[in-house]
Amino acid sequence: MLGPVWRQACVVAGMTLLLGACATAAPAPGPTATPTPARPGPRPAAYESEDFVVTFAQPGDTPATLAARYLGSADRAWMIEDYTGQQAFSPGQEVVIPRRPWNPSGVTPGGYQIVPILTYHNLAEQAKGRLVLAAASFREQMQYLKTNGYRVVSLAEFIEFTRLGRQLPQRAVVLTFDDGYHSFKDYAYPVLKDLGFTATLFIYTDWVGAGRGALSWNDLREMTAAGFDVQAHTKTHADLRRAQGETEAQYARRMQVELEQPQEAFSKNLGRRSQILAYPYGRWEEGLLPKVKEYGYIAAFSVRRQGNASFVRPLAAHRSQIYAEMTLDDFVKNLNVFQEENLR
Amino acid sequence: MSQAPGWRLAAAGLALLLGGCAGVAAPSEESTTAGTAQIARDPLAARHRQQAEALERDGQLRRAAEEWKIALTITPGDTRARESLRALQARIDQQVAERIEEGRKAVARRVQVEARRKFLAALALDPANRAAFDALQNDTREVEFISHTVRAGDTLSSLAQRYYGDRSRSEVIWETNQLPPNPRLAPGTTLKIPEIPGVPFVHPEARKPPPAVAAVPTPDVPRPGPAPAPAPGPVGPAPKEEFTPEVNPLLAEAREAIERSDYGDAIGTVDKYLASKPGDREGLTIKKQALYGQAKSQIEARQYPESIQSLTLLARLQPDYEDAPALLKQARARLVDQHYTQGVRFYREEKLKEAIAEWRVVLDMDPTNANARRNIDQAERLLRGLEQRMKK
Repeated sequence: MLGPVWRQACVVAGMTLLLGACATAAPAPGPTATPTPARPGPRPAAYESEDFVVTFAQPGDTPATLAARYLGSADRAWMIEDYTGQQAFSPGQEVVIPRRPWNPSGVTPGGYQIVPILTYHNLAEQAKGRLVLAAASFREQMQYLKTNGYRVVSLAEFIEFTRLGRQLPQRAVVLTFDDGYHSFKDYAYPVLKDLGFTATLFIYTDWVGAGRGALSWNDLREMTAAGFDVQAHTKTHADLRRAQGETEAQYARRMQVELEQPQEAFSKNLGRRSQILAYPYGRWEEGLLPKVKEYGYIAAFSVRRQGNASFVRPLAAHRSQIYAEMTLDDFVKNLNVFQEENLR
Repeated sequence: MSQAPGWRLAAAGLALLLGGCAGVAAPSEESTTAGTAQIARDPLAARHRQQAEALERDGQLRRAAEEWKIALTITPGDTRARESLRALQARIDQQVAERIEEGRKAVARRVQVEARRKFLAALALDPANRAAFDALQNDTREVEFISHTVRAGDTLSSLAQRYYGDRSRSEVIWETNQLPPNPRLAPGTTLKIPEIPGVPFVHPEARKPPPAVAAVPTPDVPRPGPAPAPAPGPVGPAPKEEFTPEVNPLLAEAREAIERSDYGDAIGTVDKYLASKPGDREGLTIKKQALYGQAKSQIEARQYPESIQSLTLLARLQPDYEDAPALLKQARARLVDQHYTQGVRFYREEKLKEAIAEWRVVLDMDPTNANARRNIDQAERLLRGLEQRMKK
């Protein structure tokens, strides 16, 4: 009996630390009052245990003010919203606030959480072809996420989720941009900054500073400083599957170029290696995965149009490409966050 | 700020210091001194206790445990609630262990779908269970899928529409079956149509997936009487699929350059792409398009030597590209005309040497051109006459 409980406590403690690392620290201890054992008289403002805070909404309280008061940061409002299923509270209403992650895998008796990861390419004033999205459509889509309660989380947070190391908001979504088009800086960045969203850029290093409309390493450093994440999309954007007739030695050499050289470019230009890979053309095969791992990547993404459960294999996770011609309805089809399944 | 009683902060601080691993930081027992009678009276805690009991009766053990914890948050000294929680937790641990064990057995029997369900059920009870999570992530790969036998006219998009109600899910079918880009689907072949989490199957037959190997009979197959025979021999080109797997930016840039008729830029860009992937089919296709477009626009601009150069490069890649051979003939003929006419112009201006040079180019390109030969003869005669007169 002691074993599992002990382990669980350790896991939970680890998670508390992780959560603590991402946002502001745990609530600062206020003036240490004398212990207040339950006694008749007016209720205390809150009851607290290590798992929960039970309190009563005051006039003007929102999940954000309550999260700031009891969880140390308004950014954790999602914990209150997700746990109570409510976004507003009337004064005097009882509010149960979970103090720590209560469902890191997102699995419930009614089904399990899935996290959509959206993939964009190029943006421009006007849409062009499938992969150049009109800036206005992009803004509309991001606004939709905001007004409909989606929470944009970083790819790193998602990867912790796939390691049972972090609970994500129920309506978590990840944004990614492939190749490293300069249009990211021109059109996407201002919108994302406005809305407080983050994103990951998957760049292929041959393209950086090369073609017209490519981001430079300077741009990428600037985007990193602004809170955006940059990860690898190989060196030349070649299909990483073993080609027909390619000998093992040839393949190994080619993978060395495609997977290691970006790492060197990252170290040189960004001062760190890449841990996450986007497969060019979304293509991968089983035999590729050990190589991807060997070069230091802990997660890699295809463009299979589906969301990801926490227990997805991190080296074979999925992303959904957003095309220029998609209507808002089409876009919304890519935002499913729950798979219903009777698991009782 | 929080008016939190001090002991809670102290307990929280302690939990942090010890990394939380020292077990539950029990609320101080001093609160029990307030007496069980008073605890029992607390209506707020009572509500959560009742809720916990109801959920437990209903088999919702996980949520019941949470309600006990909430009740204990309000009345930490409630020893009865604490005992109920302990007993419930033991019950949960046992059920989780059983489900994991059943899952492992199912893995051993290679019944992936059952194994997956068991591990998921374990996580539903204990969402932080490492063993169930790892097993689910590493040992249960297969998801449920339907087998679809391709019929004439099927496209990935039409199948995606039919099974998922969303044409753009064609990518999932494409990826699952490891198909080439824009594949033509040969009637009679079988495709896996996988379950997509969050996207229920809309196909009525799809609600209860059959054993993975069996093909689902497709109810709307037109099979009465002799069906219109599928085209014999090779199947015609499949209708263009409505999806792009993903694209190399250099190729995208080259395509865009072609769209805006900037062929020089397109060729330069695609050459960059081909430098790292010599012989790449997609790259070569775009290069041929660009060369062809360039040649045509050069012909329109009467830049015949340039157009011939473009067409010659194109012929090296594919001698019979579209009407390129005819274009090459046309360009050559026009170039010949151009030189011929220029020769005539020089001749009229009495620039005989220049005229002869133009006509010689004509003869180089078209040795059978009788007019050019005759003109040269005549011009040379004139020239000789002039030179003799000059000498005199």
